[in-house]
Amino acid sequence: MSIWRRLYNWLVSLLWSSETNVVVIGLQNAGKSTLLASLQGSDFSPDTIPTVGFAVQTIVKNKVTIKCWDLGGQPRFRSLWERYCRGADAIVFVVDSADSDLLPTVKSELHALCSQESLEHIPLLVVANKQDLQPHATTVDEMIEKLDLLSIRERDIVCYAVSAKTLQNLDSVIEWLVARAHHT
Amino acid sequence: MSYKKNDDGLDRMTVFQECISEFNASPINPRKSRTLLSRLLYIVTTGAPFPRDESTQLFFSITKLFQHKNPALRQMVYLAIKELADDADDVIMVTSSIMRDATGNDVFYRSNAIRTLCRIIDASTIQSIERLIKASIVDKNPATSSAALVGSYHLLPVSRDFVRRWANETQDTVVANKPYPAALLIGRENTSSFGYGSGIAAFQTQFHALGLLYEMRSHDRVALLKIIQQFNGKLHSPYANILLIRFASRVLAEDPNVRKPMHKLILSFLNHANDAVSLESARAILAIRNATPQEVEPAISSLQLLLGSHRPAFRFAAIRALNRYAMSHPEAVQICNPDIQERISDPSRTVATYAITTLLKTGNNDSVDHLMSQISNFMLDIPDEFKVVVVEAVRSLAVKFPSKQQDVLHFLADILQSDGGVSFKQAVVSAIFDLVRFVPQAKAEALSQLCEYIEDCEYPFLAARILHFLGVEGPSTEDPLKYVRYIYNRILLENAVTRAAAVTALGKFLLVDKTGSVKTLLERTLDDSSDEVRDRAAIILRIATIPNKKIVADFIEPEQNYSLGALEQELVRYVTASDFEKPFDFSVVPTFTKEQENAEMLQAMQKATKSVDEDITQGASAAEKEQETASAISEKLAAIEEIRELGRVLHTSSAVELTERETEYVVTGYKHIFEKHIVLQYDVSNTLPDTILADVTAMVTPSEELNEEFVVALPELKPNSEGTIYVAFERPEDLFVSFETVLKFESKEIDPSTGEVGEGYLDQYEIESLELSVGDYLIPAFNGNFDHTWDELGNEASATYALEVPTIEDGVQALLKLLSIQAIGGTDHVTEPASHTLKGFARTLEGGSIAVVARFVHSAARGVSVKLVARGEDEMLTQLVCEVFE
Repeated sequence: MSIWRRLYNWLVSLLWSSETNVVVIGLQNAGKSTLLASLQGSDFSPDTIPTVGFAVQTIVKNKVTIKCWDLGGQPRFRSLWERYCRGADAIVFVVDSADSDLLPTVKSELHALCSQESLEHIPLLVVANKQDLQPHATTVDEMIEKLDLLSIRERDIVCYAVSAKTLQNLDSVIEWLVARAHHT
Repeated sequence: MSYKKNDDGLDRMTVFQECISEFNASPINPRKSRTLLSRLLYIVTTGAPFPRDESTQLFFSITKLFQHKNPALRQMVYLAIKELADDADDVIMVTSSIMRDATGNDVFYRSNAIRTLCRIIDASTIQSIERLIKASIVDKNPATSSAALVGSYHLLPVSRDFVRRWANETQDTVVANKPYPAALLIGRENTSSFGYGSGIAAFQTQFHALGLLYEMRSHDRVALLKIIQQFNGKLHSPYANILLIRFASRVLAEDPNVRKPMHKLILSFLNHANDAVSLESARAILAIRNATPQEVEPAISSLQLLLGSHRPAFRFAAIRALNRYAMSHPEAVQICNPDIQERISDPSRTVATYAITTLLKTGNNDSVDHLMSQISNFMLDIPDEFKVVVVEAVRSLAVKFPSKQQDVLHFLADILQSDGGVSFKQAVVSAIFDLVRFVPQAKAEALSQLCEYIEDCEYPFLAARILHFLGVEGPSTEDPLKYVRYIYNRILLENAVTRAAAVTALGKFLLVDKTGSVKTLLERTLDDSSDEVRDRAAIILRIATIPNKKIVADFIEPEQNYSLGALEQELVRYVTASDFEKPFDFSVVPTFTKEQENAEMLQAMQKATKSVDEDITQGASAAEKEQETASAISEKLAAIEEIRELGRVLHTSSAVELTERETEYVVTGYKHIFEKHIVLQYDVSNTLPDTILADVTAMVTPSEELNEEFVVALPELKPNSEGTIYVAFERPEDLFVSFETVLKFESKEIDPSTGEVGEGYLDQYEIESLELSVGDYLIPAFNGNFDHTWDELGNEASATYALEVPTIEDGVQALLKLLSIQAIGGTDHVTEPASHTLKGFARTLEGGSIAVVARFVHSAARGVSVKLVARGEDEMLTQLVCEVFE
C-alpha cells in the first residue's frame, strides 16, 4: 500500500505543490534571521548571531515551499546582494523601524538595488520590523514617505508593519509570499 | 592561453556554462549537479584553474546549491568550494551556511563542513569559529575531531597565534582514545588485506592531534622534548608512534645532550608489533650521526627481517634504507647479503634494482664476478630509469675495484650495444669515461669500445661528447693513430654537429702525428658544406703553422683550464664595471690542470655515491646552496658602493652564528678580507611578530686600535624579516683581532589589531664577538700532487692536541672549518673509527701554499687527539696554523 500511497502523494505534489525563491535583505541588525525564524514557527530569541554571508531557510505553507535566502546585512556583503536577488521570485527588504537614524542609509541601499537592471519587475516587500518597540517605531505611512517608496515604479511593491517578536502581521507576509509562488 | 580543450574531451567553456545555468536553475537537479561538479573538479585539478572572475562566478553559482539537502550533492559542493576557495573572491559568503552544517547533528555533514570552513576563513573571521573548532576537536566522534584537527593545520598559515589557543584541546585529544566507530569502517575492510586492519584507522585522531601539536610547538625545543616524554607509551595509533619517532630523531640530531634517552626511546620501538613502526625506528637509528656498530646492529637485523615481509611496500622500504646505509657503511650491511641476494628475483622491479645496487656496494672483490653475470640477465627486463641506477652503481664499483675492470668493461660494452633510451646510453658512456680516467689499465680497450659505439650512435650530442673525449684522451695512448680512422669516418658520414666535433677532435692529434696524414685529412674538410666545420678546420690548420711550438701546444692541449664559474663571474664584474681602458685580467681566474680536474671529479663522485638515494637531491642541492649563498653574498657586497671601492674580496669566511638560534634577534656574521680593509657583515633577523626595529646599527669595538672606515646601517627592519649591516675597518697588522659587537636600534611595537606603530624606545642587544682567526687568511685550494708539494715546502711546524669531540669525524670537520683548508684525495671521509690521517691544502691570500697533515687517534680512555704538522713558505703563518686549537 505504501507504494501506492507514495505514488498518490507524488502525483498530488506534482499537481498542487509550488515553490518560490525569496531573497531577504536589509541592513545588519534589522531582524532578518529572527523574522525568518519566527516565520518558521520557532520561538523568538533576542540574541541571534550575525549572518556571515548567507543561509538558506525553508518555510512550508499549504503545499507551497518558500525558499528564503537570508543574506548578511553588513556593509561588506551588500555588494553581493544583487547576485542572489537575480532571478528571485520576490525580494523582502527588512527595515528596523525603531532606529530612524538609519533610514537614510536604508533608503539609499534600497533605491540603489531597485535601479539595477537585472532586478527589474521583481516584486518587493518592505517589512517595517520591530513594531513592538512602540512608541519609537516608525509607522507604515511614515516609512513609505521616508523611504520614498512611491517613486519606485514598474514594480509590485508593498510595505507591511510587522513584529517578529509579537508575530504581528506575520500572516500577511506569508500570504504575500505564497501569492508569488508559481507551480513547478 | 592556448589551453582550451583537455585530452578527455571536457571543454572548459562548456562545463563552465553548464555549471552556471544548471546551478542557478530552480528547482535543482541534484544528480545532474553532482555530475557537473565532478567534471568541474576534474578540470580545476588537472588543467589550468579558471581565471579569477570566472572562478568567482562559479563559486557563487555553487553556493546556490546549498538550498538542496541531498547529502551526496552537499559533499560535492564542499569539495568544489575547497578547490575554488583560493581562486575566487568573497568566499567568506558561505560562512553562515557552512556553520549551520558544522554545528548540526548530522555527522556526515559536520566533518565535511569543518574541513571546508577552515579553507575559507581568513584572519579577520577566524575568531568567529574558534569556539566551534575547540568544541569539535574534543568531540566524541573521531571523524569530527579529525576534521577539526586537520582543518587547524590549514589555519596555521592564516593565524598561528589563534590556532595555538587550542593547544590544550589538542593535547587532550592525543590521549583521549577515540576508536573509529565500527559503522564507519564498513567498506574499509579491504584495508586489512594490506595488514593494517582497522588498527591504523582506529585512533587516527591521535595521529592528527600529535601532528598539530608539533606544528604549534616545533619552534620550542624544550616543549617538543616534553611532548615526546609525555606521550611515549600512551599512543595506540601506529601513525602517531611513527610521528613520535620522527620527533625524537629530530631532537636527537639537534641536541647531543639528549642522545642517550632519545636513542633508548627509538630503540624501544624496534620490536613494535606494527611493521611500519619498527621500520621507522630502524630508519631513525641508521640516521643517527656517528652511531656505533653496536647501536646500528639491531636496526640492521630488524630491516633484514622486513626484507622477507610479504608486503611489497615494506620490502621496498627496508631495502631502500639498507641501500642508503650501505653508501657510507657497506661493511655493516654485509651481514644481510644472503637476504638481499634473494631479493634480486623479487617480483617488484624497484625492490630488485635496489637489491642489486646495494649488493654492488657491499660486495667484495670475490663476489663481484658472480654479481655481474646476474645483473646482465637482469638488465634485459627492467625499464630505463632502473638501468641508469644500476649503471651508476657499477660505475662506482669499477673505481672501487680496479682489478675488476675487465668484467666491468665487458658488461658496459654489452649493454651499450643493447636497446635503451638516451639517458641510459649517456649513463653508460659516462661510466666508460670514468674507467678511462681512473683505471689506467682499462684505457685502451675502453676507448676502442667507444670508437665502435660511435659508428652507430643515434644521438648526435652523445657522439659529439665521445668525439671530444677521444680527442682529449686519444693522443696520449700508445697508438693514437688508431683512433684517427674512426674519427675521420664520422666526418664522412655524419651531420654537421658531429662533423664539427670530429674536426676538433682530429685537431688534437696534430701534435702526435709525425706522418702528416692528420693534416691532410683536415685539409680535406676545408670544403665542407657547413661553415662551422670549415671554420674549425681552418683555425686548427692555421695555428699548426705557428713556429712557436709552445703556443701551438697550449692551444691544442692546454695544460690549464679556467674554472668556468669563476671566469663567468669575473667577466660579469668586468662588464658591469664598464672600465674598458684596462684589459681583462685573466690572472684572477683560478685555473685547474687536467689532473686536478679529474681528481676533483673523482671526489665529487665519491661524495655523490655516499649520498645517493633521497639524499641525491639534498646533497646536490646542499652543495648548490652553498655555492648560491656564496655568490649571493658577493653580489650583495658588490651592490654597495663603499664596499666596491675597496677592491676585490680576497677571502670570505663561512657563516658564524653570533646568537642562539631561538632568540628574539638572530644574528649571523661573515668576515670579508680585502687587500687593505676588512668588512664585517651582520645578517640580522627580527623574529618578533609585532616589533619594528628602526635605525639598526652595530657598535663594533676591536681588541686593538683600528680605524673604522664606514658603517652601512639598516634604516628599518620589519617584523619577521632580515637585513644586513656592514662595518668596515682598515686591515689590522696583527692577524688575530676580535670585534666586540653591540646592536643598537629603536624598537617600535605594532598594535596587532590596528596595525598602528607605537612610540619607539632605544634598545641595545649584545651579541657574541667576531674573531679573526688563521682560517680567515687561507683559501681552500686543490692540489693534484700533494705529496710532491709537501716535500718541497720548507718551513715546518707541529703541535699535538686533545680534542673535545666524540669522534674523529667531528674532529676532521672542525679542523677543516677552522683552518679553511681543502681536504685532499677524499681524506675528509673517515673510514676507520680508531685512527685517521687528513691531508689538507690551502693558499694564503698572497698566493703562497700551506699544506697540513693531521693524524687523528681515537682511544676510549683519552678521547680524540690529533697531531698537526703544517708546512708552508711563510714561517709565521705555518706556525699559526699549528696553533689553531689554542
